[in-house]
Amino acid sequence: MAHQAAPGAGTRLFHPGFEGHSQISARTLGFWLYMLSDALLFTALFAAYAVLDTPMNAAGGPIASQIVNPIEGFWQTIAILASVTCYSLATVAMKNGNRAGTALGIIAAMVLAVVFLAFGFNDLATLTAHGNGLGRSGYLSAYFVLILTHAVHMLIGILWMLVMLVQIPRYGFNEMVVARMLNLRMFWQFQATVWVCVYIYVYMIGA
Amino acid sequence: MRLKPYLALLPVLALAACSSGDYRLFHPLNLIATQEWHATIVDTIVMLLIILPVLLVLALFGWRYRKGAGAAYDPDWSHNTALELLVWGVPFLVVAGLGYYSVKTIYAVEPYNPGLLQKQEAADPQSVLNVDVIATDWQWVFVYPDQHIATIDQLVVPQGSVVKMRLTSTSVSNDIFIPQLAPMIAVMPGMLTKDTFDAPALGNYTGFAADFSGAGFSWMQFDTKIVSPADFTAWTQQASASSDQLSYEAFQQVAQPHANIGAKISYFSSPDPQLFDKVVAAAQAGVVYPVPAALTKSIGSNEK
Amino acid sequence: MQVEVPGPWSPLLGRLTLDAIPYTNPILQGTFAGAALAGLIVIGCVLYFKKVGYLWREWLTSVDHKKIGVMYIIVGLVMLFRGFADGLMIRTQQVIANGPNAPGVLGAQHGFLPPFHFDQVYSAHGTIMILFAATPILTGFQNIVVPLQIGARDMAFPYMNALSLWLTTAAAALVMISLFVGDFSAAGWVGLIPLTELPFSPSTGVDYWMWAIQISSVGTTLNAINMIVTIVEMRAPGMTWFRMPVFSWTTLSTNIIGLTAFPVLGVALALLGADRYLGTHFFTAGYGGNLMLYTNLFWIWGHPEVYFLILPTFGILSEVIPTFSEKPLFGYVTMVAATFAIAGISWVVWLHHFFTMGSGPDINGFFSVATMLVGIPTGVKLFNWMFTLYRARITYSVAMLWAMFGLFLLLAGGLTGMMLALPAVNYTVHDSVFVIAHFHCMVLLVVASAFAGVTYWFPKLFGFKLNEGWGKAFFWTFSIATIIVFAAMFALGFQGETRRLDWTFNTAWKPMLMVEEIGMILYVVSLACFAIMLVVSIRNRAKNRVGADPWGTSRTLEWLTPSPVPFYNFAVTPQVNTRDELSWRRKHGLESAKPAGFEAIHMPSNTGMPVIIGALAGIWGFAMIWRIWWLAGISLLGIVVCVIIRSFNKNEGYHLQPQEIEAMEKNLATGAIVAEQPVRTHLHHVEAH
Repeated sequence: MAHQAAPGAGTRLFHPGFEGHSQISARTLGFWLYMLSDALLFTALFAAYAVLDTPMNAAGGPIASQIVNPIEGFWQTIAILASVTCYSLATVAMKNGNRAGTALGIIAAMVLAVVFLAFGFNDLATLTAHGNGLGRSGYLSAYFVLILTHAVHMLIGILWMLVMLVQIPRYGFNEMVVARMLNLRMFWQFQATVWVCVYIYVYMIGA
Repeated sequence: MRLKPYLALLPVLALAACSSGDYRLFHPLNLIATQEWHATIVDTIVMLLIILPVLLVLALFGWRYRKGAGAAYDPDWSHNTALELLVWGVPFLVVAGLGYYSVKTIYAVEPYNPGLLQKQEAADPQSVLNVDVIATDWQWVFVYPDQHIATIDQLVVPQGSVVKMRLTSTSVSNDIFIPQLAPMIAVMPGMLTKDTFDAPALGNYTGFAADFSGAGFSWMQFDTKIVSPADFTAWTQQASASSDQLSYEAFQQVAQPHANIGAKISYFSSPDPQLFDKVVAAAQAGVVYPVPAALTKSIGSNEK
Repeated sequence: MQVEVPGPWSPLLGRLTLDAIPYTNPILQGTFAGAALAGLIVIGCVLYFKKVGYLWREWLTSVDHKKIGVMYIIVGLVMLFRGFADGLMIRTQQVIANGPNAPGVLGAQHGFLPPFHFDQVYSAHGTIMILFAATPILTGFQNIVVPLQIGARDMAFPYMNALSLWLTTAAAALVMISLFVGDFSAAGWVGLIPLTELPFSPSTGVDYWMWAIQISSVGTTLNAINMIVTIVEMRAPGMTWFRMPVFSWTTLSTNIIGLTAFPVLGVALALLGADRYLGTHFFTAGYGGNLMLYTNLFWIWGHPEVYFLILPTFGILSEVIPTFSEKPLFGYVTMVAATFAIAGISWVVWLHHFFTMGSGPDINGFFSVATMLVGIPTGVKLFNWMFTLYRARITYSVAMLWAMFGLFLLLAGGLTGMMLALPAVNYTVHDSVFVIAHFHCMVLLVVASAFAGVTYWFPKLFGFKLNEGWGKAFFWTFSIATIIVFAAMFALGFQGETRRLDWTFNTAWKPMLMVEEIGMILYVVSLACFAIMLVVSIRNRAKNRVGADPWGTSRTLEWLTPSPVPFYNFAVTPQVNTRDELSWRRKHGLESAKPAGFEAIHMPSNTGMPVIIGALAGIWGFAMIWRIWWLAGISLLGIVVCVIIRSFNKNEGYHLQPQEIEAMEKNLATGAIVAEQPVRTHLHHVEAH
């Protein structure tokens, strides 16, 4: 590398017609990088939860084993994994150019996500009604914020699905729509993965 | 050329170093501070062994290889394995050595249980002086549980003692620092930290608050004295004679936020025997001493 | 669920009342008058020269990485000036308010700044310098230089690039607004905990600090994604990884740090925000909070952050030094390895910022050793620069002067850093001005290399060189001022002076404080030299026009383009044959080679959406600070709506035709005044086929 060859007959100085990068390749790589930053965000939240998950941080209020319901969490996990499956089926339909199938898969994914969120919000509302809201103790603050941050990500995903439901009939499966559908699939799978971590660490180990 | 400003620096530093007492870190007064000072010197010298030659070589190269100065020019020389091994290897060895030295000195001066003082504590348990320190906004409360007295902004210890402090805060975090004597340690509300130092030399010193804690922070100094054991006993008796008692309720008044401008010293007799633990527990239970905005604006200000 | 705020709150205006405007404060009166005057002059000039349309079309809606980079640097320089003003106030307060009998003016008992103001000034100084001056300036350099260095036409996501800029600008605007509406944080740039909790910081100051940082962090994260994808996907044909210039390598590693570290800061501040807004107990002393959690989370970001600043700095040095030594950089591969070693190790050293928190000897020991380990690759870089100078032909242009000064700062900062890495030493100098002097050596290294970069790349962007005489005057006054101020500060550290003191109670400190003040006066002189340099250079620009390679000895791809660079960068994408492509071409007489023909180029369209989203983000931040919930809701909804609307935009850009390119290239070759970039939006694009 330090001692480069002298230019020869085949040396080119310019490369006309260089097409550069593909939109889909760049957008999916960019989205992977965003998810890396999101993964760090959840890592920090899990670290905060781990630090605040001691009896002293419960400040006389409930600890994990007193508030988590692994059975209900199990059904939530089923709901979210089913939602991911439905969305993945939607992308299979997209591969086959099937607009109706895609829309159906997306709608099913949305419904299951709403079911998941309904369970979750109901859980948090019940806790709050009993005086164990997020201001009760450091532990509960960590529990609420971890669950709520995941819920906010789910809500954003649902909104994104709504937008896709409008864009697919309007634009068909052009480059932009496909890139977004692929990114949404990654996003949705990522959210399910985060939930699985929450379920294992907060619900199963906490119980 | 580039070196001149730095040459001018050296006499300034030398003068500075020769200056007496003001350079407190250069004048440690007990085992702990002496070890810390030695660590500073060792570290500096070891690093200078690398940095001074580099400085000189940089200046040399920068001067010698100026365009038009007629020195050799080797535009293709950009790689040398032996040199690379040297520049990775030598610093690695230096860091290994300094790392070992660092860990050794940490155990020696560790505020909770310094290795340097373990022998004295074991040999002469009577020389241990227990002091509970509570930082408020913006004063230092020193409670002597064994002598049944308390002070605000004055720490007096007998010569030859090993002072073991337990520290906490009523409000926000801070650091306690007595240059030449005690290593810095944080004080935090609802938590307990410890600091240990020996007191071989008589004298008057100033202790500081070192970690910003609000509008009254600049006035958080405290008087520190190392006195003879006889003088210490006399001082504790004088404090015991104070009519003020530091019950927990009285302490709550003391802890109300105000700046102790002038670091006025107060004495209390019969402090609550569980005062320190009560303060820690109260903080954990959510007791705070809020600082209203109006108070913050008025400290150190003559504005109406 | 909303926590009870101290002070009044109304549904319409939140916490905002007329009392929030400090119109009785004489310093702020003067500041406001000055800012208003400057603003009126700028707006007046724009209107007088009828440049409103030009500004909107050419700059504010631009997605051109070069223009965005220039705007980043302008924002950074403006904030650098504000940060310097804060620094000047700190130094002046400390020298006046020395000793028990120190005089007091303007309502202060000692000095001229009561603690309430002084504490905001130094908090603003730190926050601004790190996050709103250094970061935008370095981001600006990366934006401008990297696509050119790798032979690309723009960044991977031009729209997102503009969005990052306007988010950062909105956040900087919030910091500036805090001067005149409400106050700023008085808890340090790190947000000392639990001082930042509501009982101890009841005013909106901490909220300004918090939301400004959060908004700009989003911009930084988006920019990191953009830079990484650009470098991974858009290098010119033939530019393999090990042919890429070192500045692009450092940009890659720095943005990996940024991408992964900034979310942790976001969490730390969000949890603090939850404490302040929702009444949670993450960091309170009571009810089961853990304040050490904040300190750890903050510094887990905080330490990678300083490497986020220093790695692009090292990258600039690695470009400037070889150019003005007429030699390739020594040890290219190990430079890259050292860059990534630094980035990697930077993740496991954070605790050295709080050795005194009582973590115990085992933990302190681990972090001490880790901290010293990061010195090894840093040393390697220094040695490699040194060996680059060996048997070189060094020209002491202004850029090279800054670079050499930077190396000496690195030596001083590195020495003192290794001292701080030993807890036994740290226990005596933590939170003292010794630490301040250490990290100022490092951040002034960032500033020095930033000025090296400005001097170096200015001709490439604008087509004329900066005035060399005034550049040297600026350099010498600035560097000597730095030495004076910080040598004195190291001395004060050894005298035991601690930091953040509004009233410097020990009269023994007075002599060194006065020495520092002399240095500050010299800094003011240097700023004047900088301003004069700009004015003189712009005035003489016609006489100092330069071609593609103004320095004659540059080595990398960006110097193949004409100066100033046309908006499409390269008329035809270059084929890269080797590392340091330009010096290889120059060696074989190929540097002026022109392409045989031109083809149509696809360019992205301008758009005003990033400005709108940035403005909405600023409004949202303001609403959150003052707890004006309806406004916060509307502006957040507006941002979501804008993002969705934008996603429906076909944003296909437009095509530049070969004839247009040929004409523009001819103009550039003859040195004729460059025509304004033809205005293209998606409504006007010309189809090629």
